[in-house]
Amino acid sequence: MNKLRLKFTKNGPIKFIGHLDVMRYFQKAIRRAEIDIKYSEGFSPHQILSFAQPLSVGATSDGEYLDMTVNSMVSAQDIMDRLNLAMNEGIRITAITELDPKEEKAMTLSEAARYSIGFRKGGEPDFDWIEAFSDYLSKETLPAMKKTKSGEKEIDMKPMIFEYSFDKEKSKVSLLLAMSSSATLKPALLFEYFFRSLGRDFDPVHLDIHRIDIYRGGSDEKGAFIEPFITDDISERVYING
Amino acid sequence: MNSNLALSDEMLLSIEKPERYIGNEVNAVYKDKDRIDIRYAFCFPDVYEIGMSHLGIQILYGMFNSYSDVWCERVYSPWMDMDALMRKENIPLFALESQDPVKDFDFLGFTLQYEMCYTNILQVLDLSGIPFFSTDRTWDDPIVIGGGPCSYNPEPIADFFDIFYIGEGETRYRELFDLYKKARKSGMSRRDFLHEAARIPGIYVPMFYEVKYKDDGTILSMEPVFDDIPRTIDKEMCRDISEVFYPTKPVVPYIKVTQDRVVLEIMRGCIRGCRFCQAGQLYKPLREKDVDFLKRIALESLKNTGYEEISLSSLSSSDYSRLPELLDFLIDSCNEKKINISLPSLRIDAFSLDVMSKVQDVKKSSLTFAPEAGTQRMRDVINKGLTEEDILRGSHEAFLGGWNKVKLYFMLGLPGETDDDIAGIGDIANKIAVEYFETVPKEKRNGRIIDITASTSFFVPKPFTPFQWARMDTKEEFLDKANKTRKGIMSQLNQKHIKYNWHEADASMMEGIFARGDRKLCRVILNAYEKGCIYDAWSEYFKFDTWMQTFEECGIDPFFYTTRERADDEIFPWDILNCGVTKQFLLREWHTAKEGKPSSNCRKGCLGCGAAAYGVGVCKESKSGE
Repeated sequence: MNKLRLKFTKNGPIKFIGHLDVMRYFQKAIRRAEIDIKYSEGFSPHQILSFAQPLSVGATSDGEYLDMTVNSMVSAQDIMDRLNLAMNEGIRITAITELDPKEEKAMTLSEAARYSIGFRKGGEPDFDWIEAFSDYLSKETLPAMKKTKSGEKEIDMKPMIFEYSFDKEKSKVSLLLAMSSSATLKPALLFEYFFRSLGRDFDPVHLDIHRIDIYRGGSDEKGAFIEPFITDDISERVYING
Repeated sequence: MNSNLALSDEMLLSIEKPERYIGNEVNAVYKDKDRIDIRYAFCFPDVYEIGMSHLGIQILYGMFNSYSDVWCERVYSPWMDMDALMRKENIPLFALESQDPVKDFDFLGFTLQYEMCYTNILQVLDLSGIPFFSTDRTWDDPIVIGGGPCSYNPEPIADFFDIFYIGEGETRYRELFDLYKKARKSGMSRRDFLHEAARIPGIYVPMFYEVKYKDDGTILSMEPVFDDIPRTIDKEMCRDISEVFYPTKPVVPYIKVTQDRVVLEIMRGCIRGCRFCQAGQLYKPLREKDVDFLKRIALESLKNTGYEEISLSSLSSSDYSRLPELLDFLIDSCNEKKINISLPSLRIDAFSLDVMSKVQDVKKSSLTFAPEAGTQRMRDVINKGLTEEDILRGSHEAFLGGWNKVKLYFMLGLPGETDDDIAGIGDIANKIAVEYFETVPKEKRNGRIIDITASTSFFVPKPFTPFQWARMDTKEEFLDKANKTRKGIMSQLNQKHIKYNWHEADASMMEGIFARGDRKLCRVILNAYEKGCIYDAWSEYFKFDTWMQTFEECGIDPFFYTTRERADDEIFPWDILNCGVTKQFLLREWHTAKEGKPSSNCRKGCLGCGAAAYGVGVCKESKSGE
């Protein structure tokens, strides 16, 4: 038995496929690829498969993750190749890694996500939003009301923003935002409060959100850090305080 | 993959289920449009999830796309939110694969699966910018073609179609495409092309048939306007379906659709001859597919789609002669791959219960019986060869096997129905409950108990059935009968174990009007559409009052089509078509029904329906002395 973690992209028209349908899509692709995946016991067995974090409909990504358990395989590379042959262009497996059998699910381990965000063509704000957003993000606190299962609660978004930088030429902002079981900041919420701070209306359909990668936590001699789930590049580590 | 979508991201994000409009599904076919001659837009005039569940389109989509000079794409009715957006933003309706406007296609084909989709046909034409009336179209418009069960009485929508293809699609499309290519190359007029097309077997071009009416509103005559086109159009039929083209790479949707599985068509036609059933007559004679072919198709389709379920499709699967062999094979190969097998339309007996116990969770699944009527007398009238003994014996064995849920299907408003027949529905449900208590002692029930659901639909007489002459009940009569059924069930000893559901009567009445309607209804349908009637098959959008108001404004009595019993010699709007069984045979069956007598089935004894002329399938079987 082998436990595997796969990194995949979601691009093009596939961005309109909702999270549950992406899961169903993978279940079928795995059957088409004839991967010897492990099934649960019971009368209606299901594939042992879990996804790191849902991506909102309309957003693209180069860094989605799923974990699967197989009964047997030729190699991890073979699984990746066969899956890619059985799938549409919009979803590609770009990396695969074998996990320690005791490794927790990507869903549990995820700590943050890096995004590149701009506005869709025709939906760009009629003011210098990059300048204004830079001012907004530099505030001490960024209070917001977040919808929860039981209603709304007040949160401070500021500590959930690990990094940000701007690409003025492309009119994009790069954001590294908290995304874990205890704290998640969705880009749309941040933009909603940014627009609200300017007294402006905001419609999330204009946001062009691209997820670059999902990060997990770790620590070394320099302290606690977060880094992409599958990476060999130590320079991608982001050290976080506390 | 096609990344150039017809709709902007903002539009797709502002409507429900954008997946309905983006194409790019697994196994969707993409071609270079500059290297093909014929672009065919195939439309199921209902929402994506319904249309994608239809086997017929998948078959013809696969077959058309196997031709190197044809590119077939799919179109479905935009849902109400998208319909509003497209009108507001002036976006023409597009096909899913290329995302190109439907109006640019050579053909726009509609599959006509139920009468209540008629206003959606007009929606598709309207949003595409194609004139409603065939006579108003030019070569700037696609050839609008209809097929499927409702094309067996296409008259209520005749003015909206250039062509109806009568019968099974596998046989004549190649010929039609070749004629089209020739016509376009030679600069033939559209009308001349249609004239030529009308000479191809199975092709009905309604504008070339002139209808005259009698003073009482019934038909006097339907005559071709040319001498060289047939007076009646014979249905097309695949004489050899044992290994006929079958799509092993059906398009796999992203969203959950109604039929979310591999569908394996095991045969066509039915030997049973139930007198209310249109499909049983239209697809005669019964033809089986080769069992080894089916095994191969099943495995290939599962491999190519990745579906986790496979379902057998036919009108009466128990009549497939190699069923045990096929099921053994499927159970073996599917178990290993964790694939579910779903088994609709199986007669409940020792064999089917054994199979069902292998492929279903007995605790969760239910037994289905369709006695259709409450008494043996009524079942003889409709020629439904299922007896009370069959039901109770089947139930008994099933209860021993651990089942405790039973679903029963009946019809109300059958010809000659009496209060006794209605009372019989409650009686039979109660007897099943009694059978349960006698079969399963208290200590073996493990906290579970018998759970019976009886459902009734209202009977709608259909063309090409022995009941095509019959009177249909009014809405009031229907509701009165549903009430009597409910009271009958409530008065049973075991009533607390019996649930009762009934269909809406308004929609049944509309279905009845269209099913046996004539060309005069084209105007009503167009007026109703213009008043906002659309998605009539969806109870939340069906506007019965608007329909009735439209009939009144058009000066057409809807009851002319429903509550009138027809004289034996009446000319019907669909008499222009020949579905393979003769009108004399249907009339004979109508009279036998009135005498309360059942008839034989095709395997027990030939009734001389006329389908033997094809010399294939079950007709050949009986002649070879099987």
